[in-house]
Amino acid sequence: MNNRILQADVRNRGLVLDPRTKLLLLITMAVFVLGGAASSYFPFIVPCLCAVPLVLLILSKKFRSAALYAVVYSAVYAINILLADRLSGILYFLVLGTTGILTRFMPSVMMGIYVVSTTTVSEFTAAMQRMHVTEKIIIPLSVMFRLFPTIADEFSSINAAMRMRGISFGGKNWTKMLEYRLIPLMTCSVQIGSELSAAALTRGLGGEVKRTNVCNIGFHLQDIIAMLLCALPYVGLILGWFGVKLI
Amino acid sequence: MIELNNVCFTYANGSTGALNHVSMKIADGECVLLCGRSGCGKTTITRLINGLIPHYYEGELEGKVSVNGIDTMEVELYETARCVGSVFQNPRSQFFCVDTTSEIAFGCENAGLPEPEILERIHNSAEEIHITDLLGRSIFELSGGEKQKLACASVSAQKPEVFVLDEPTSNLDTDSIEELKKTLLLWKSQGKTIIIAEHRLYWLKEICDRVIYLENGEVTFDMPMQEFKLLSTERISELGLRMLTPELLKSQTNDAQSSDELVLQNFSFFYDKFSALDIPSLALPRGGVIAVIGHNGAGKSTFSRCLCGLEKRFRGNVFMNNKKYNRRGMLRKCYMVMQDVNHQLFCESVQDEVTLGMNEDNADKIDKTLSGLDLNAFTERHPMSLSGGQKQRVAVASAILADKEILIFDEPTSGLDFGNMEQTADLISSLQGEKTVFIVTHDPELIVRCCTHILHLEGGKVAENYPLNSENTVKLTDFFVKRECECG
Amino acid sequence: MFKTNNKLKGKDLINVGIYSAISAVIIMVVAMLGYIPIFIPLLSVLGPLILGIPFMLFLTKVKKFGMILIMSIIMGLLMLLTGMGYYSLVVGVITGLIAEFIYRSGNYSSASKAVLTHGVYCIWIWGNFLPLFFDIEGYFATRQDYGQEYIDSLTALMPTWMCPVLLVACFVFGILGGLIGKAAVKKHFIKAGIV
Repeated sequence: MNNRILQADVRNRGLVLDPRTKLLLLITMAVFVLGGAASSYFPFIVPCLCAVPLVLLILSKKFRSAALYAVVYSAVYAINILLADRLSGILYFLVLGTTGILTRFMPSVMMGIYVVSTTTVSEFTAAMQRMHVTEKIIIPLSVMFRLFPTIADEFSSINAAMRMRGISFGGKNWTKMLEYRLIPLMTCSVQIGSELSAAALTRGLGGEVKRTNVCNIGFHLQDIIAMLLCALPYVGLILGWFGVKLI
Repeated sequence: MIELNNVCFTYANGSTGALNHVSMKIADGECVLLCGRSGCGKTTITRLINGLIPHYYEGELEGKVSVNGIDTMEVELYETARCVGSVFQNPRSQFFCVDTTSEIAFGCENAGLPEPEILERIHNSAEEIHITDLLGRSIFELSGGEKQKLACASVSAQKPEVFVLDEPTSNLDTDSIEELKKTLLLWKSQGKTIIIAEHRLYWLKEICDRVIYLENGEVTFDMPMQEFKLLSTERISELGLRMLTPELLKSQTNDAQSSDELVLQNFSFFYDKFSALDIPSLALPRGGVIAVIGHNGAGKSTFSRCLCGLEKRFRGNVFMNNKKYNRRGMLRKCYMVMQDVNHQLFCESVQDEVTLGMNEDNADKIDKTLSGLDLNAFTERHPMSLSGGQKQRVAVASAILADKEILIFDEPTSGLDFGNMEQTADLISSLQGEKTVFIVTHDPELIVRCCTHILHLEGGKVAENYPLNSENTVKLTDFFVKRECECG
Repeated sequence: MFKTNNKLKGKDLINVGIYSAISAVIIMVVAMLGYIPIFIPLLSVLGPLILGIPFMLFLTKVKKFGMILIMSIIMGLLMLLTGMGYYSLVVGVITGLIAEFIYRSGNYSSASKAVLTHGVYCIWIWGNFLPLFFDIEGYFATRQDYGQEYIDSLTALMPTWMCPVLLVACFVFGILGGLIGKAAVKKHFIKAGIV
């Protein structure tokens, strides 16, 4: 997953949402699915929201992720229900706990996977600039996303080197294994980072001028629909506070 | 016009490359080559021109540097960046963005140019440098040569007056160097001033007008290219420079004596249905030093990884000494010295590093190996604090002490000057006979100094496999010099 | 000759990005453990312990106000983008700010303050656990029919007292991680010439 964060393939994306809409969706999921805000007033909100990432994944042609979500979620949910009264003791807690946590976090994480695999870094930075987020956050964020695949590469080179030396399998010293992995990783990453710094600075980064952005983002019909749908749970929440109950 | 006036500089962290009262004037439109041994100061001069010194690299600076009337010391880096474009050595770490179009736009965006103008510049730049088909692609998919072209395009889009290049061909093969040459000729025709710090000189014969040679931070000579071309090959070697005329390569090694063989069988490997390697059977001399050459994408790195046993799905075998080794067996017998040796240095002292993974503790053997490699003085030093060549030797020491029989060097001399290249060649020659060595390389000078055989791969298959002797040297020069003859 | 001002420059921002990238890779590898409830407390142990090494190296480059705060915000944003919610972002803003003041009070060169800074900084990890303690009854309202015992057992897995315990764990192991990081910096990075 490291290699795919914010590196969507623009040529085959299906339905495209503006990154700001995606951000709104993430927040909505966090409030209502993770936080369970309105579930005591309108219990059907949670299941509906759980379906949203599935729909979005299908609409953007991420069929494998969609299938993974559907299968794993249903399996976990089923285990939860079926085994609720069959087990006892520690196993009971473990299974129930795991399935409970999974069902709670999975929809939100799948939404995360949707966002991260269908947005490019430039779209994301363009969206942040439009939202007037300071460059002090945008620049480090872009650098971070840009370095992920590079660091993953370094990591696998280091692993390869360890395998050649015959020291990759634990057994002996757990902490040593960590040390051997982390230290070269950091030395190499820091070096790459500093070369990157020099290169970026010679291209004018850090100027007083406001940066422009050529990436094309904007709100379309699908964004408006998505945002209206997002608004519903919030409306429901507010109504719930005032004691209105629907269904 | 670029002017350096009595410049003295020492790096704050003690790195080599200090300058000692350097003065030079470079006129508009000139194309200047800065050359010299490692640490002579050529990179330092490029950094003075693009402003990285003193704004990024700290140190003590005296004297004056002015570029087109701007005093680079007084003015901020981003202002100097408006008239000086820089291309660096390592394609991997030059890019800020993850897709090609954004990368070309990056410099212009930093300057705050309006979007429509940036789009036009992207289009023009890509056309000029012939990378229009690379637009909108992920940078991680590009080859080394394509990445350097992208770097040129993105610098070009900012329309600077001066271009500064710091060893841009270190990681490129001959084809990519030709492409880079075209780009430089384009810039020259546009009247831009170009300054290149380089080790590999032959491709610049028709591009640079002037050659400035530096030694220990001082200018030793400054002559027109015409004069420089007349220098003899011996003189060039004395200066510590790489060859100017690759056509004159002569093999310098002894023929390998061993009749013992290494037989590779079923060396095939697929990436997502794409056949990266397809070698049904191959016999190679044991104890020989084998150069693995081929264009980008020929399968050289896949070959090395499979040979080392690093590719999990690999099913081929190697027969050595009447024993059959599968992937796991090869993992125990092989060792690759990577291009970036930092990936293989794990411990905090050289002593610990070379004994890591050793089966028994044999103080004698350790001592002997370390002195053989000239590392005795460094046993308590941290491996990462050593120079590139020293790190290489530490890696080799580890391999020897771990009883590895097959060593693979991945581009050991990219970016090295003549002296260091010779040192590496000597190191590798000393292993001949005891170990079987493979060298994946683009460096013909290294090959003629220490290799006994050539393995030429193309498209994942074996194109040629021959011992390197006087008759066969012609085949080698053909591979490296082919294009030269075509352009005339 | 040069004005050393306290404004964050391009070089500093890129440094924040580099170390955030390293930390993010580590945190994501460790987070894979988080779906099994037994390991959730482990996240507040392993995370801070391992993150200490890159963070302490980062601190050697921090000489201006704002870098630690920005790093906390970026980690929080990363959590939001990967579907873990906005809680770490909110917590991170607060703890990042506190961490800034701590490190600054030591003039950006005190080793013990650095370790303390890491302890406080690590609290953003705790933010990820917050949703587990919210409104459990409401969340499982749809499963009311499976009996109070069912809901009770789920609540027992993540009892309310675990919440502050996890917070303290993040801090304590953050301190330990800082000490480990400090040792690593001394043992390796100073000798290697990177610091």
